[in-house]
Amino acid sequence: MKVSLSWLQQYIKIEDKPEILAKKLTLAGLEATVNIVGKSVPDKVVIGQVLSVEKHPNADKLSVCKVNVGDNEELTIVCGASNVAADQKVPVALVGSKLASDFKIKKTKLRGIESHGMICAEDELGLGNMHEGIMVLDNDYEIGKNYNDYLEKEIVFDIDLTPNRPDCMSHFGVVREIAAITDSKYKFNKININESGKKIEDLTKINIENNEACPRYTARVIQNIEVKESPKWLKKRIESVGLRSINNIVDASNYVMIETGHPLHTFDFDKLSGHEINVRFAKSGEQFETIDHVKRKLSSEMLLICDSEKPIALAGIMGGSFSEVDENTKNVLVESAYFNPAVIRKGSKLQQLSTDSSKRFERGTDSNDTLIYSQNRLTGLINEVAGGQIAKGMIDIYPKKIDEKIVKLRFSKIKNITGLQIEKQEIKRIFIALGFEITEFSDDNISVKVPTFRPDIEREIDLVEEVIRINSMDKIPTLRKINISVSENVDKLHPFLKSIRNLFVGMGFNETLSNSLVSEKMAKSGIWNYKPLKIQNPLSKEMDTLRTDIIQSLLANLKINVLRKREDIRLFEIGKTIEKESRSETGAKEHLNLGVLVTGTVWGLNWNEKSKPVNVYYFKGIVNLICEKYGIDNVKYKETKNCENNSESVSIYIQKKEIGRIIKYEISKFDKLQLDYPVIVMEINLDTMFKKRNKIQKYREISLYPSIMRDISVVIDKTKMAKDLLDEIKTNGGGNLIDVIIYDRFIDHEKLGKDKISLSFRLEFRSKERTLKDNEIDKIMEKIFNKLLTNYGAQLR
Amino acid sequence: MSIFDEIGSVAENFHNKLDKIIDQEQIVDLKNKYLGRKGIVSNLFSQIGKVAAENRKKVGKSLNSLKNELTKKINEKDQQFSVSEEKSKKTDYSLPGYSFNKGSQHPITQSIDEMLDIFNHLGFDIAYGPEVETDWYNFGSLNFPKNHPARDMQDTFYTEGSGILRTHTSPVQTRFMTKNKPPVRIVAPGRVYRNEAISPRSYCVFNQIEGLYVDKDVTFSDLRGTLDMFCKMYFGSDVKLKFRTSYFPFTEPSAEVDVSCFLCDGKGCRVCKNTGWLEILGCGMIDPNVFKSVGYDPEKYNGFAFGLGVERMAMLKLGINDIRILYENDIEFLKQF
Ligand SMILES: [Zn+2]
Repeated sequence: MKVSLSWLQQYIKIEDKPEILAKKLTLAGLEATVNIVGKSVPDKVVIGQVLSVEKHPNADKLSVCKVNVGDNEELTIVCGASNVAADQKVPVALVGSKLASDFKIKKTKLRGIESHGMICAEDELGLGNMHEGIMVLDNDYEIGKNYNDYLEKEIVFDIDLTPNRPDCMSHFGVVREIAAITDSKYKFNKININESGKKIEDLTKINIENNEACPRYTARVIQNIEVKESPKWLKKRIESVGLRSINNIVDASNYVMIETGHPLHTFDFDKLSGHEINVRFAKSGEQFETIDHVKRKLSSEMLLICDSEKPIALAGIMGGSFSEVDENTKNVLVESAYFNPAVIRKGSKLQQLSTDSSKRFERGTDSNDTLIYSQNRLTGLINEVAGGQIAKGMIDIYPKKIDEKIVKLRFSKIKNITGLQIEKQEIKRIFIALGFEITEFSDDNISVKVPTFRPDIEREIDLVEEVIRINSMDKIPTLRKINISVSENVDKLHPFLKSIRNLFVGMGFNETLSNSLVSEKMAKSGIWNYKPLKIQNPLSKEMDTLRTDIIQSLLANLKINVLRKREDIRLFEIGKTIEKESRSETGAKEHLNLGVLVTGTVWGLNWNEKSKPVNVYYFKGIVNLICEKYGIDNVKYKETKNCENNSESVSIYIQKKEIGRIIKYEISKFDKLQLDYPVIVMEINLDTMFKKRNKIQKYREISLYPSIMRDISVVIDKTKMAKDLLDEIKTNGGGNLIDVIIYDRFIDHEKLGKDKISLSFRLEFRSKERTLKDNEIDKIMEKIFNKLLTNYGAQLR
Repeated sequence: MSIFDEIGSVAENFHNKLDKIIDQEQIVDLKNKYLGRKGIVSNLFSQIGKVAAENRKKVGKSLNSLKNELTKKINEKDQQFSVSEEKSKKTDYSLPGYSFNKGSQHPITQSIDEMLDIFNHLGFDIAYGPEVETDWYNFGSLNFPKNHPARDMQDTFYTEGSGILRTHTSPVQTRFMTKNKPPVRIVAPGRVYRNEAISPRSYCVFNQIEGLYVDKDVTFSDLRGTLDMFCKMYFGSDVKLKFRTSYFPFTEPSAEVDVSCFLCDGKGCRVCKNTGWLEILGCGMIDPNVFKSVGYDPEKYNGFAFGLGVERMAMLKLGINDIRILYENDIEFLKQF
């Protein structure tokens, strides 16, 4: 919203500098910035007077001029214009001025004569299109002054309005704000119109089908007008607030809307069939062409203004091309109406058509004084700028008056909400300045009649806000000491996530944060086979679905890094993954997951040792670490069924529930990326981890006696699983077996035989009560070996 | 030359040679030459048999002391060198160590942690809500009427069915209050979504932290105090705060908070567009309609709420001017944090 300072000054005396006023308005909720609009020319363009003109000795079309540019300075300027003559006042671009980004005036020799500047034509200064000769200025321009000082400029406030303040989409509204903020008086003009025409009842009739959608409709008719270019003052006002001047009727209508905030419409009266107005909802499928020449298909929720046969406007949004006022229009009907905000908003949304008019109606206009004032203001203004006779009387259909609400404010409430006491007299002043009528003023309360141009004010709290924003948004004290009621709950999830993050950061992983909006294809590639949840109004096809896993995000991050030749990539991310779930109230089920991705070697390229590529066991180690840290045991791994091509995958289970997966993607899956190492990824559901974690970690007694270590190396068939042998050892190791480690594994056809494998275990025994004896451990080892032999055919190596 | 003279000249020769030694190799050579199995000293010992019997004991004693002295000198010299030798031969400390990959936490989650820590200091607990929301929690319960222009303040993504992607963390307020009786003092971090074109200044996904405090006698002064403390702890103790009237359907009065530009100390710079102030968060006193929608009595309880954009604050603090780099995840970028 733009308001012009000089326009405001018609109604109120403004003493503050524009920047100060903008700050005050901003503090009160009207975020304002100061702009200077109007024409201007580049710096160093001054007024000069041509002293003499002589023909250029070496060029027919050039003249050599002596120009006085003030301060007794006389410049020689070569000029090509034919209209240059002595004694003319002209704009002179001095050496150093920049007429365009690539056009700087310099001292130059033109056919042998040095020129010190340029006498300018209109287009060269950006003031118009004229290039036929130089500009000749009036004689009262002062020599040596900046030309800019003579160009008209307007100070305009750009106000960024919040949607609760439709009243401030007008100069009147801003005037009331300024009056309240600066404690000054304002006055709006009284309107006198000269009704010299026929009786309006004899000219037209109005019929409203739905009074709820259109609670009030007024019309006036003006006959024998002349549609033409607007007078200068009107044009200037309209253009200063960023609108384009069309003709005197359209400009007048826009002028009144910008002035009072009430949108109006003018119809070419002679184009209305039956010379009548009907307000009704559209029939489904009805068609209509608006003035922007778009043919629109209407639904039954669109409110229409119609004549006796057809629609002539989308009520409150836009007129139709058929009934538009044009240069031949002689008679006009002026509409000033009040439409239900929700109806207009719905229509505007349906047609995806937002106009200066619909923006005001949908936020709420004034059905009472402003509506009538604006009707009369526009009728009078049309009469003033287009002549004609105003019909006698006004048609006003307003079956059920919308009354001003009376709202009470307890003075104590202000203190209660803000912690600040405000003088009662000041409160009263604020409401009066804002246009409220005081109906009660006692020791404890004030009651006000809320003008209908303030649809945002209905309750006591709204009045509190009015007082605060005008009086004291910057005065409310900042308490240095606060009394608080502390919550008895302490969230555990965030510390849990924090410690997982720390763990990965410590292991050299980089945490990523990825867009959760992905392509449908990406969502369908998710490892959990969740049904993807789609977005109805996506920004693009690439972001029309919510992600179903973290791994796909990490793979996308991998791609960016590989394309930039980053090496040894280790990424992790914690975030929500979304599954479509129609039984949930939101239509979705959310899972909090951890995704991890690695490609590269354990140590990276170095001189010290040949580093091995990261493999699945690296990830198993990480899972173990996490589980140990949070006291989760019973973790099992099972090969995942039905995994994609070029990959192998193992599922992680806690108590029969699959909580995660480790997947190894072969290089061939990423043939375009030319990776050096396979990509290993992992995803774990943290909701389950968090639930299953051991919440109370208790001290376990430590043993004071030494451990006994025993190694056993066996040769078994390759088909046997290490995990089974480990379990067998643990089952038979007795209560003092506290740890088993596999420390060697190899295959050697010659030494071990075909399809054989060697595994070496190290067992640690320790008792809490005593020092263990070698011979008792020998017995256990023998038992273990016999079990391995009978159950797995293991041979000692 | 008597054997005693010979012993004397051996000692003298040895000492001359010892002084000229420059590296460990020469020590080994010297040691072999004098003290080796076939070395000079050994050779002298073997000559004892030829010495007259009465002198043998004396010669033996002198030879032993010669051997001891030489051994001692050699060892001393050897030690001198081995200290410097170790440096140059065994370990080249200038070689790089193992290259541990520099792990890093994303700057945004780091900022969230930092902010939550501060709010924890100020007695706030942490609460959460879903990212896919119902219309009621995202709008209705927060006093956004249906068909009201206030809904246009936040461009919304609609999901299949009747869900929407939450446009702010504010629904956590009403979700939490629906389930808990006052007093309530929480902050809620999380992702929010806006259907806005992606640009250096805006991304369709970003993180917010919502704050909520409800109790008897909570005032706007408490709100100011809390945010003042937070900003000083986060941005530094010299920052100033400015409250401007604004509008959010779920708070009244509502305010936008500007913090004095900590990049230019309020003098005006490119980042603060020469205003000396940075817009950082929105806040206000809870609207009575919100209390009604969760079953709290607005006559009995007051409350304040605030919401801040994590990306915006972190970008200001870290000097990042394009939000998209945060979601690109180039490890060259990530490793800086
Ligand atoms: Zn600054």
